[in-house]
This record gives sequence, C-alpha cells and structure tokens, in this order.
Amino acid sequence: MRDLLRDLIDSAQARAGYADARFVRSRVERLSTRNGRLDQLDSDESEGIGIRVRVGGSWGFAAARGTDRADAEDALRRALAIAEAQPSVPDAAPLAPEPPARGEWATPVERDPFNVPVEEKLAILLAADLGLRTDPGVKITLARFSAFQTEKLFANSEGALCEQRITECGGGIAAVAVDGADTQVRSYPASHGGHVAEAGYEHFLALELPGHAPLVASEAAELLRAPACPHGRSTLILAGEQLGLQVHESVGHAVELDRILGREASYAGTSFVPHDGIGSLRFGSERVNVTADATVPGGLGSFRWDDEGVEGRPVPIVRDGVLAGFLSSRETASEIGLERSGGCMRAEGFARQPIVRMTNVNLDPGEAGTLEQLIADTDDGLLIETNRSWSIDDRRLHFQFEGEAAWEIKHGERGRLVRNPSYAGMTPEFWGSCDAVCSPSEWSLISLLDCGKGEPGQVMRVSHGTAPARFRDVEVGVA
Amino acid sequence: MIAQEVAGRAAARGAPDAFARVTREHSLMLRFAAGRPTQSTAIDDLTVEIAIPFRGQVGRASTNAVDDRALANCAERARLAAEAAAAVGESNFPGFDPTPLPGAGDPGFGFDPRTAELDPEVGAAALADAFAVAGEQGLEAHGIWTVAQQEEAWAMGDRSGAERRTDAFMKVICIAPSGRSGYASRTAITVADIPARELAEQAARKAVVDGEPARLGPGEYTVVFEPAAVGWLLDLLAGSAFNGLAHAEGRGALDGRLGQRVAVPLVNLSDSPRSARTLPRSFDAEGTRKAPIPLIQDGVAHSVAHDRRSAAIAGATSTGHALAPGGSPSGPSPTNLVLAGGGASDETELCGPVERGVYVTRLWYANVVRPKETLITAVTRDGTFLIENGRITRPLRDLRLTDSVLGILSRTQAIARHQQLTSDGEFYGRRFAYGIVCPALRAGAVRFTA
Repeated sequence: MRDLLRDLIDSAQARAGYADARFVRSRVERLSTRNGRLDQLDSDESEGIGIRVRVGGSWGFAAARGTDRADAEDALRRALAIAEAQPSVPDAAPLAPEPPARGEWATPVERDPFNVPVEEKLAILLAADLGLRTDPGVKITLARFSAFQTEKLFANSEGALCEQRITECGGGIAAVAVDGADTQVRSYPASHGGHVAEAGYEHFLALELPGHAPLVASEAAELLRAPACPHGRSTLILAGEQLGLQVHESVGHAVELDRILGREASYAGTSFVPHDGIGSLRFGSERVNVTADATVPGGLGSFRWDDEGVEGRPVPIVRDGVLAGFLSSRETASEIGLERSGGCMRAEGFARQPIVRMTNVNLDPGEAGTLEQLIADTDDGLLIETNRSWSIDDRRLHFQFEGEAAWEIKHGERGRLVRNPSYAGMTPEFWGSCDAVCSPSEWSLISLLDCGKGEPGQVMRVSHGTAPARFRDVEVGVA
Repeated sequence: MIAQEVAGRAAARGAPDAFARVTREHSLMLRFAAGRPTQSTAIDDLTVEIAIPFRGQVGRASTNAVDDRALANCAERARLAAEAAAAVGESNFPGFDPTPLPGAGDPGFGFDPRTAELDPEVGAAALADAFAVAGEQGLEAHGIWTVAQQEEAWAMGDRSGAERRTDAFMKVICIAPSGRSGYASRTAITVADIPARELAEQAARKAVVDGEPARLGPGEYTVVFEPAAVGWLLDLLAGSAFNGLAHAEGRGALDGRLGQRVAVPLVNLSDSPRSARTLPRSFDAEGTRKAPIPLIQDGVAHSVAHDRRSAAIAGATSTGHALAPGGSPSGPSPTNLVLAGGGASDETELCGPVERGVYVTRLWYANVVRPKETLITAVTRDGTFLIENGRITRPLRDLRLTDSVLGILSRTQAIARHQQLTSDGEFYGRRFAYGIVCPALRAGAVRFTA
C-alpha cells in the first residue's frame, strides 16, 4: 500500500502543485438491546483510497473503494479532471509550511474490543437492560455498545508518509418513561449514544452500565411527576455532557477558521468571530480558558497527525476570556498569516476529503473546587448534566438547549428534579456570565458521536473535557 | 448493473433466508464559496449488507468489498451475529419477505442517463453562471452543485429487485457586503432541470432587499413559510409522528390520535414513493414494495409508516419504509412526503391578508425538543422579512422558532397551489437523496422565542 500511495503521488505531481493520498480501513461494531431483546447487531467494514489534488488553487478529490491499483489510478485521474475543470483561483494562498509527517502511531489499548466475544458484550448490555426495567413507569429500555477502529496511511507530495491506528470504544444506557401525553428519558453516562473514548474494551467495562441502571430508571419515571422548568432568569450550573455540548456548539464550531473565512456559508454557516479577533475579541469572562488539544489521552479528537499530515498539539483558543486561536488547516492558516496549521483537518473514512474539524476542544479547569462545593456556593439555581435537544444559529450566536433533567439548587443544596429544563442565550454574553469553573479533580471528557459538517456530509466523533461551571442570569424555561 | 450482480452473489454466500442489499453511489459534488470553487468530491463506492434472521433476531454485517472472499466473510460475520443474538432468546422480527421486481430495474423511472455521466464541465458551467449573477450585483455566491447515480439492489434466494436512480441538486446563497443573505435551491431527477442562473437570481433578490434589518421580539406572529421551510417542518414531523416503531411503543405524536383531527382540513399529507414529482423509490431496505400511504387526510391523522419489525410489534403490515434490513434502531420513516397544494396562487397572495407578520425562506438547525408534542426549535436563515399590510417591507434579523409542527398545521390559514420538490441536499453516509414535495403556506400565531 505504501508503494501504491507513493506512485499515486508521483503521478499527481506532473499536473498538481500539491497532492495527498490516504488509505483508510474502517471497522465498526454496534450492539444494542431494547426492552431485553437484541435491537441491533451490526458489523461494518470498509476500505479505500482518497486522493486530493490542488491545481491552480482549485481542489479536486476522488475516492476509490478497495486497494486495486487501477481503481486508485482512475480516482487520481478523476480528481485531476475535476480540479482542472473548475475556474482557476490565481490568488489562492500557498499551504502553510509543515515538516513531512513520518512514523507510526496507535491508540494505547489494553483489550481490543473487536477481539471480545459478542456474547460477553451482550451479557453486559442485557444485565444493564434488566436493571432499567425495575420501575413500572419505564416503557422502553436501551443499552448500547459501540466500537470503531480506523487504520490510516497518509502520503503527500512533500514527502510525508505516516500510519495510524485509532481504536474507540464505549456505550451507554437509557430509560424512556411514557405516561399519556408525556415522555421522559434519562441516560447514563450521556445521551446520544453514551460515552465513547479512544481506548479499548476496558473503557466500556469501566462505565459499569448495569450498576447505574436502577437509578436511571427511577429518575426517568420520577420525571413524569416532576414540576416543569419555570420560565425566567436563573443561575445555571452545567456539567458533563451538557457543558461539553455547550463548548462544542458555541466555542468549537465558532472558532473553525473555514467557517470564519466563509467557506462553510452554504451549509454549516459562518461565525460571529472575526478572523482578526485574536487578542482582542472578548469571548467570555476571565474564568474562561479553552484549549484545543489533539494529545489528550482518551479523547476522540486525539491523534498523532491530522488528515493533512500535521502533528497534533495543544492550541490555545481562549485565554482569560479573550480569543487566542483558531481551529485551522494548512490552507486557512496561510490565508490569515498564521505560521502553522492548527492540525485540525479530519475526514470521515476514505471517501470524504479532510475539512477543518474539532480536536478535543476543552474548557480548562478552574479553582472552584468540586461540584458539591460549587453547589454549596450557589444560593438558587439549576443544575443540568445531560442533553436532550440542541440548536444554534448559523453564526453560532443564539443557542437553545434542553436537558433531560435538572435539579433545583436551593440555599446551597441540590433539591428536587425538574423536567423539560431548557435555556437559551447569546454566546459571548453567556460565556461572559461564567463566574466559576470547578477544579482539575472534576475535569473529565465527554464524547459527541455525531458531529455533522461538510458537503457531502461527514460525521465526526469528538470529545470535550470540562469541569462543572456556573453561569449567572441565564434565561431558562424557554421551550 | 453492478449492484444487482453483487447482491445475488452476496445472498448466495449467506443462509437460504439471508437477505442481501447493495447500494452503490457514484456522485460528484462541486462546492463553492465567495465566488470561487472550494472543494470538489467524486465518490464511487458501494455498501453490501447481509442480514440473516434467526429466531426473531437479525444479525447484520456490511462491507464495501465485492470479491467472493470478502462477501463470504461478510456473510459469516452476519451469521455469527445472528447466532449470538438468538442465544439471548426469541425476538419479534418476522423474517424477510421481499417483493420480486422483474428485470434490472426500470431505467426510465427516476433515472436520467445524462445526469448519470456526472460531467464536471456541466457543474463548472453552473458555478460560472452563479458567480456571474452574484458578481453583477456585488454579491458573494456560496453553495453546491451535485449530481449522482445510485444503484440499489437486493436478493434473497431466487427473489431479487434492482433500481437505478439519478438526482441533481444545486443551492445558491448570495451574501451582500452588509452580511444579509438570500437562498434558492432546486432538486431534480435530471441535471437539465437545475437552472443555475435562475437560482442565483432568486437568491440575489433576497440578499439585496432594501432597509436595515429590523429586530422582532419574541412572541406569536402570522408567518408565511416558503416551501423550503415547510419541507423542514414536515421532515421533523415525519420522525415524530409517522415513525411506526415510536407509534407502536407509545412514544409517537399520533399515539391514540389516529382518526382524530390533528390539523386544519386544508392539510392533506401523504407518502407517495412512486410519484414522479418526488425522488421516486420502488422498494425499501427490506425489499418491500413501497406503497403510497395517506398520513393526514383533510386534517385527520390517518396512518403511520412501518417496516417489518414495527409492523410485527403493531400487528400491522409493512408499508415499505424500512431504512435498514431488519429495521433501523430509530424505526421506519416516510421518504417521499407530499403535501397537497391549496388555493392560494403564490407567496404574494399568502402575504396579502397579513397585517404584521414574518416571511421565512428557510429554517436551520432544526431539532425536535419533545417528539410527542412535535415541539421543535429552529432558526430562520437566508431571507427573513417583515410583512406589513400585506407585503414584504424590510429584512428582519433571524428569529428562533419554537413551536409544535402539528400546532402550526392546526393554525394553517392558507396553502399555495404550486408545489416544489424541496431538499436540503444533505448527503451523509451512503448517499440517500430524498425530498419533500410541498407548497408555501401561511400559519397564524407561530411562536418565536428569540
């Protein structure tokens, strides 16, 4: 395969100013149970080669399934033909310089999830599923396992040749309580597929799904009887998945440089963040520090090299509330005069070209102690941990979220459960209202498995590290 | 047809009741931003799925390799999965019972040979037209032009079916120096029906409407939705209300409401998979022949969509709406929604009676908040205007809509006559082009929360 990629690059260089080729082999396994029965047992494999060329500033990309040399050469011909057919871009910026990526890297894994018998995984899911059926109010129970393995070989016309093997694994549970016109759901450890980490089977075991099932079930049923979230303004403590999603939608996407430069205006949208805002744009309060870091162990945005051959590294995004950097590619970095790409080019499989994506965009921990200490320091408010619904405008300014559940905070104590907790805000004002972030002991990763972007669409798995944070004077009960 | 040949070999590698499905995508997409090409993607790939039912369970495996060894390996993975699943106990999947289709599909139905050529020169000319129109008015043109040929085939024992389809889509967003934007799109079976210049002109007209954008506070307003916005609403409704699995589990919005009025009598909504006005499909992912189904008739909820699994749970018959062999975990869904046209001649007439209201070109980032209530939230985008005294008077800042889709259909006052095949041109995973045929409509007391 190395020889084939090298040959493709050699052929491309006769007509293209730049070329890269990626061989990608993907394996996916998904198991789920529903009400004590199997719901899904899928085993998917695919492999192929994607070739990207730049001719006169225009990009062409074509992909061929499999490893056949003739098919790959045909893909190269198509990529060149497409690039050459388009209007030229004479003022296209050169790619930001990057030393050629060389070497091999793999996710540290204790136990390869693809080598674990299906029966063993199913037994855990069924035990969890049974534990969810402990409350008569619960009508639907779900337990999920998923594992992903991606092998990549990358070469480009600047001498890069590197190989990576990334393994991801995890799962989650959910209970749905139904009563007449109302439906309530509770999930653990997160909604939308649970928690997946860049790790082996050991991560799935560590989730201890069966042990958490009874509480999940009882909370789902309790929500049917819980009071609705009142409308008004409130102090809000966000934690876990909900805070990670807040970072994802209002910070991560907002600082993607392709959006900022208008490249995503036709689909994902643009951004309120200006390309010359580094050092001057106030993004939040002085408590807010955000770092995009592709080196965090366990993060789904972790890798040695991105899909453009740029080595992953921590990139400051917000420092003391002020914009400090972007998520970028070699092309977009060059366009605004950055010395290097932020190493954020990622592609879904072999048949999509890399685009600017999040690595692990993390809210750095603060000094507010533990979550319980933060609650104790809060006289009146709401705590939301798990997401149910999300939406944000195409400039990443106005957002509206709804959690699965919230807990009232009264006089420094966690109180009763509240159903349908929604909140809304404007990104800079919201982050500007952040007056506390918990300490490093509370910091952990959450995963988002379905981040969509690009045309044709690409789904990416990302992680966000956060410690619980407090926001003042937030509009709640909006939906 | 490659897909048909591969499906036959794949099915032969599995058990006698193994179901094989092959979906092949041959597509080209040209993307542009700020009046220049940015990304171009050509894909030629396929997915072979083998599903083996066993004691009411289904084991599934997929691959994109088509040699005999790979297909045998795929079948073996599916068999092992089915056996592991069956060890859990019996479940409720009744097995596959696909409807045979003679021949190699009907190339005249939903297929255009010229579109299937995926000619980049045709796309480049479309981009040039869009750039020229936008440039003449000092606007930036953003968007995509894309064409595809899809083959879908299935085989089980001596039964088989196959179909070829083409689809073409272009959208143009024109952005003015002020930041205001306008949108137009077209979805079709044939690339010749994609009028790049006309789309750019439509988008440009919205971007250059005079006046500073006004800010409208939260509240309830009469709204004229263009077809693209109506399509978004109906797409969300499909998942909340017409999903047979959610309905059978008591989670669906029509749970206990079939036969009851859920919208004004003006509303007639169906799934019409063989209609040439849609992107037609003959069969679903389980090889079941797709049947047209009335969903809402004269405002009364009539039926939901089923695959074989949800039908078994509900004691019903599959309507041909499976999204995966053996059923998708998320359940079945309509793929060819058609909302019947009404009596209003066009959007201008819909605006006529509106004293003060909102004109919405399209919605964005729409998400279901509470499915049982069909409560959704979304923001307006690329052409939101204030209607005063029956006509559009000035641009509006974008608004956040948070309302029930069935609620909007219950407050619908008028529907335009002309229908449009709408799509957002989202192609995640293996390309599955679909669109919603719908007209513009006017609804009262639509709730905006910001």
